Amino acid sequence: MKKIFLTLLLLVVCVSLGWASGMMKKKLPPYDYGSVTINNYSQQAGMPPVQFDHWLHRQYATCRLCHVDIGFGMTANSTKIRSTDNMKGYFCGTCHNGKESPVYQIKIFDSCAKEYKRDEYKRCTRCHILERSSAREDAFERFAQKMPRERLGNGINWEKAEEMGLVKPADQLEGVSIMKPKLKIQQDFSLKSKVEGMPDIIFSHKKHTVWNGCELCHPDIFVGIKKGTTKFSMVDIFEGKYCGVCHDKVAFPQSDCARCHNKSPQEK
Amino acid sequence: MKNVTVTILATAVLLFTAVPYGNCAEPPWRTEFDETCAGTSEAMALSQSELQALIGRCERLQKIIEQLDESARKVFLKRLLMCKNLYQYVLDAKSKPPEPLAQ
Repeated sequence: MKKIFLTLLLLVVCVSLGWASGMMKKKLPPYDYGSVTINNYSQQAGMPPVQFDHWLHRQYATCRLCHVDIGFGMTANSTKIRSTDNMKGYFCGTCHNGKESPVYQIKIFDSCAKEYKRDEYKRCTRCHILERSSAREDAFERFAQKMPRERLGNGINWEKAEEMGLVKPADQLEGVSIMKPKLKIQQDFSLKSKVEGMPDIIFSHKKHTVWNGCELCHPDIFVGIKKGTTKFSMVDIFEGKYCGVCHDKVAFPQSDCARCHNKSPQEK
Repeated sequence: MKNVTVTILATAVLLFTAVPYGNCAEPPWRTEFDETCAGTSEAMALSQSELQALIGRCERLQKIIEQLDESARKVFLKRLLMCKNLYQYVLDAKSKPPEPLAQ
């Protein structure tokens, strides 16, 4: 009895310490997973910060299109977007320009304006959001219902959704992107797990380059080009480095171990 | 009257030649940017001398982009650096012997 009590006490202490040191992150509701608050200049201009939802945008564009061709940084607030940049047709203004998009065949609302009338303020509040509304959550639920399910993250299996043709993210925009030849896929490779019993990782270049291209990951995130030259551990990934730049923020979370550690012992 | 006709004709010629550059054609730096950074998807297949030449073009282009207005500079400097860094990264990998793997 005493042993059980001590074990339970130890468990509670460990969990509390883990929580306190930030190792265990608070699980976000699916509609909030991958949402980013942008607040470089908004409040100075008397506007609420921008709430950017990745789930809403990633159905229309690959990561590469926004983070390479349009120039958005990989961390919140690193791009320092100003309304004047948007008005000139950069960053959000690349697509949000009030014109019909030739890629998406829809009219995308204008992003920013120097002057606006009272009734136009509604347009500002589509991005500059003071507080979460249930309409936004409902929109996510309606969208997610049509998508293949996933256990964690925002509950959507994006890879499968693209395979099934449910989302068709554009990779190039005329006048913005450089029209390049199709990327030659580099070979997949395995990464040895450091924990006994944990399956090794098969890193799929194909899965990653289809959405990211080369320059989004190399050399900013992964410096080494030869296998084994970039050395990292799960601690680094938990701290948001290497795979953790995307996984746990927008791409599926690190707690979904089996999606990366998937090499069966027979394959070793 | 002749003077007026000549002036109108000269203005028309000037406008006609200025329109394609101002509205349709890209400025020269943008064409150079597109051509220089078009090789990123096949960087692994480029030779060391091709990579070095592209890095040189990136460096020359950087000086021009640094003179652009703030919005364009912010976007195109970031894009140019991503492209230049990728070429440099591939060049380093091709010119250095592989590091020994950790035990």
